[in-house]
Amino acid sequence: MNAPNRSELFVLEDGEKAVEILEDTKIPNAATIKVVKQDHTLANMLRAQLLATPSVLFAGYKVPHPLQPYFILKIQTDGTITPADVLSQACNRLIGTLSTLEAKFKREFSFKDVEGAVVSEDPYGVPSTGGPTWAGGRDYLDF
Amino acid sequence: MQVNSDLEPTVRIRELKKDRVNFVLENVDLAFANSLRRVMMADLPTVAIDTVEVVSNTTVLPDEFIAHRLGMIPLVSTNCDEAIRNNRDCTCESACEYCAIPLSLNVACSDNRTLDITSSHLQYDPSVFHNESGEEGDETAKRVENFGHPVGKNDPSVPPVLICKIRKGQELKVKCLAKRGLAKEHAKWSPCSAVAFEYDPHNKLRHTTYWYETDSRAEWPLSDNAREEEPPRDDEPFDFNAKPQRFYFEVETDGSLGPQEVVMKGLQELQRKLAILIHNLKAEQEPELNGALSGGGDPGMDQSGPQIWGGGWGNSAATNASPAAAGWEGSPAVTGGAAGWGTNPSPAGSGGWGTGASPNAGGWGTNGSPAARGWGSPAQQASGWNV
Ligand SMILES: [Zn+2]
Repeated sequence: MNAPNRSELFVLEDGEKAVEILEDTKIPNAATIKVVKQDHTLANMLRAQLLATPSVLFAGYKVPHPLQPYFILKIQTDGTITPADVLSQACNRLIGTLSTLEAKFKREFSFKDVEGAVVSEDPYGVPSTGGPTWAGGRDYLDF
Repeated sequence: MQVNSDLEPTVRIRELKKDRVNFVLENVDLAFANSLRRVMMADLPTVAIDTVEVVSNTTVLPDEFIAHRLGMIPLVSTNCDEAIRNNRDCTCESACEYCAIPLSLNVACSDNRTLDITSSHLQYDPSVFHNESGEEGDETAKRVENFGHPVGKNDPSVPPVLICKIRKGQELKVKCLAKRGLAKEHAKWSPCSAVAFEYDPHNKLRHTTYWYETDSRAEWPLSDNAREEEPPRDDEPFDFNAKPQRFYFEVETDGSLGPQEVVMKGLQELQRKLAILIHNLKAEQEPELNGALSGGGDPGMDQSGPQIWGGGWGNSAATNASPAAAGWEGSPAVTGGAAGWGTNPSPAGSGGWGTGASPNAGGWGTNGSPAARGWGSPAQQASGWNV
């Protein structure tokens, strides 16, 4: 009855800030960044990428409460770059990795398409009666 | 932590079938592989029956029981992010051709036998709509012929999903609206029925501890993936710096999306999330720039334009709206120093976290700092922080 709408887990409300940057007052080159309507999927990936960056001294994240759909990411750098900038740099690196991976997946899938037999095989082991299969080389979005 | 940054990620598909793909992902870190797994399970839009109007139900099952069963039926959702808009974003009163798929079920049994009502009885039926329409769009043109229909309908090799069994004199008459959604809202919208994920089949990294009677090696069978990796030698010392590098996936779909579409859309969705974060970070630092993009949701639903972050970063032309987003290969656009982080006063003399003097102090962990190196164990979770 009074349960919050479940789409509030991932849809930003009107006027709600998607990102808040809170500069740390006691520690140099440190900030806490609150990212709203995102979860571990994004946070943990960013944390790992930040820790792989030499100018980052500290990176950690937490989802303070499972019913509140946001995470906070704490970053401290060595001063050569600001926490916010190192975060967007980490995002850019990850996008780079993802797009190379995307190209490699595309290649792998196209090989499997050419090999043919694999795709047309029926999942239940029955010879395919010509259901919707992907013809060789066709992109999965072409129809 | 800089293990994988020098190596390019690689992938090898071991098996591809109509409803599943098995692949090995290498040279990425655990967090990255896990995010891919999570995004494929919970962040890709599909369509599923969401509202059910019961006209007549004289079956043995109560209305809500049947409504729930209808919701779980996989519907063809190919190219869902372009082929249908979110019902909540549509300008229509309740539902229209752009934001919903109308389906109806009308089955009665008049013979002296048991009749199975299955997903094959679901009919596409525009009369379910109340004659209204949202703002015109191109969604309907981007649909496959059987978009929104039960998976495997008219395919004799796919057995239909049983909804209810009825006897002579009983009938079931319902009007359904299938809508687009995400598995974060309800698991019925997940394109995946299962995603298997494994790494380090020999447990060399000791990320798990096996319970055993006398000998864990004799009592715990190895998975098939163990054949891909060297078993540890008996005299092999534990490598404290080793990191998982090879991940075994099997993505199994319920048929609403094909396995190829699930993987590719998963990769694109991760990129979209990151691109939106870059944009929002920039907007936060320079408020005079355009407003925030919705961080969550699914692709193509924002008023700010479905195609801004459309797939194919890097390889396609520059369709990016935000300057921050352009050119991820180069250095990040240095912001105009709006917020002067560098000039932050008060060096951390008071046992702050930069110094890493006290690993337990304040709960902020010290893993990233040089001082923490002496601590052998990974300390995945220091005082509630994932570091
Ligand atoms: Zn509508």
